[in-house]
Amino acid sequence: MANRFQLPNLGIGLGLRTKHYSTILEQKPAVDWFEILSENYLRTEGRPLDFLAQIADSYPVVMHGVSLSIGSTDPLDRQYLLELRALRDRVKARWVSDHLCWTGVAGKNTHDLLPMPYTEEALAHVVGRVRAVQDFLGTPLALENPSSYAEFAGDSMREWEFLGRLAEEADCALLLDVNNVYVSSKNHGFDPHTYLNALPFDRVVQVHVAGHTDHGTHIIDSHIGPVIDSVWQLLAAAHERTAGVPVLLEWDAEIPSFEATHAEALRAREFIGAAA
Amino acid sequence: MNREATADALGLHERASATPERAESPRKATLGTAPAWTEGKLGLRAQQEWFAAIVSTPQDEPAPVDARTASRLITASKTLSSLERIDIYRRGYHARLIECLVDDYPVLEHALGEEVFEALSRRYIARHPSTAPSLNYFGRFMADFCRTEALPEPGFAADLAALEWAIVLSIHAPTVTAIGFEDLSQVPIERWPGARFSVNPSLKILHLGYPANAYLQAYRQGKPAAFPAARPTSVAVYRTGRSVWRLELEPTMVTLVESLANGATLEVGLAEVQASLAHEAEQEIAKKISHCFQHSVSSGLFSAISL
Repeated sequence: MANRFQLPNLGIGLGLRTKHYSTILEQKPAVDWFEILSENYLRTEGRPLDFLAQIADSYPVVMHGVSLSIGSTDPLDRQYLLELRALRDRVKARWVSDHLCWTGVAGKNTHDLLPMPYTEEALAHVVGRVRAVQDFLGTPLALENPSSYAEFAGDSMREWEFLGRLAEEADCALLLDVNNVYVSSKNHGFDPHTYLNALPFDRVVQVHVAGHTDHGTHIIDSHIGPVIDSVWQLLAAAHERTAGVPVLLEWDAEIPSFEATHAEALRAREFIGAAA
Repeated sequence: MNREATADALGLHERASATPERAESPRKATLGTAPAWTEGKLGLRAQQEWFAAIVSTPQDEPAPVDARTASRLITASKTLSSLERIDIYRRGYHARLIECLVDDYPVLEHALGEEVFEALSRRYIARHPSTAPSLNYFGRFMADFCRTEALPEPGFAADLAALEWAIVLSIHAPTVTAIGFEDLSQVPIERWPGARFSVNPSLKILHLGYPANAYLQAYRQGKPAAFPAARPTSVAVYRTGRSVWRLELEPTMVTLVESLANGATLEVGLAEVQASLAHEAEQEIAKKISHCFQHSVSSGLFSAISL
């Protein structure tokens, strides 16, 4: 089904990384779209924005944040939201996303995606904050399911139920990271298809794929290396439930050449069929 | 007095949603004492405060939690205890911020060695936790921090950190086009004395006690260098277009550029340079003043002239 926000299917995109700037600007490769890490372009007036402006002139751009801290019990950071909105308008970002997590409390930022307790209290808290952010931005916010390594003992529901209810009650969009579903399923011992089956796919406006690192006792969402087949299969299963949704590859450590990274992203075509 | 391009990274910490995998010496999480636990169910705020306190505790210290409390907060998995699961976040927290400091201070890391730099970074993280959404300015206290730390050469380390931080700042400063001699030729000759020059907004002039720029340049050229002896130098760090430049300044250029940066007219600025050369022969003074001004302009230190 088409997403209810009428956000476009941009095709297969790549996470924009500094290592690839020169190749992108000099060779203008045929890439459907880029996702930028919002915070890299905040609190700067210089060279990062110069590069971004040139890239945004030539390619559709989507903003992906890591410091909204939507689940924190600290107040929303109004200055951050102002900067986020200004950047969105400046680069004409098609939409803005962040994670279902919190990144800090008491004014400190861990710069990590910390896990939420999945309780009624937390749900009500996050619903209110998502609504406030969407009102501020004037556009839907897409929230991504995080990878997690810990679950709270006081949880009263599973993550997929929390995410689904959050999306409905706050009327927000979802960014489905199928690698994160896989990582969390291994770390917490659930069937990833149970997760997918519970999601409201009419709210899924984007899908992430990525590599990860298996430590035996747990899996880390390291965004290293190629995407494994099990994750590609989850992409296929998720994509079947949509009428075509943009797919993006994240590769954040030991990043190969632009050509190799793009080739890995384009492997998505094998799993999403004609809808791409 | 050649200016040297800084072939640095492109000015961004790759803030990603990934969990960093930093190679580090094994640090097994140990339990400590739990703060008083309020009986009953913990609210969201309290859960977050507990979790954040554990995550941000230095890795060589016991986690501020005991086994019973940890399991009341976080469930164990089939393979990991409650504390081991929280410790994944603790490792990620420190690894990400250490990587950020390595990005900002690669030459300081080289000078101190990886082990000393990592230990310094861990103390820095504990002393200056991030409070901003972006990591762009997380490392801003490093030079001052080095002066207070037990390091092999804290003065040199602080100067090197100041130089590397100036490079970071120049990357984030607004991009401007430097003026050149063509722009100067448009100024009527009778207006020159009263002309005021805007300095490039990315320009930072550092007055260092050690030749940190020479050390950095040697590092960039792959030439191993020992810790240098103290020798005062002044270095300009600035950016034109995408290029960041480092320029060791002669005293006359320091006088002129700082004077103009403070709003003096060209006449006043040049008079200050002249005064600083009072002990020299008249012919030599004229030559040095001319060279000083021309070199400042050709190096791209100015971005506008107002008449």
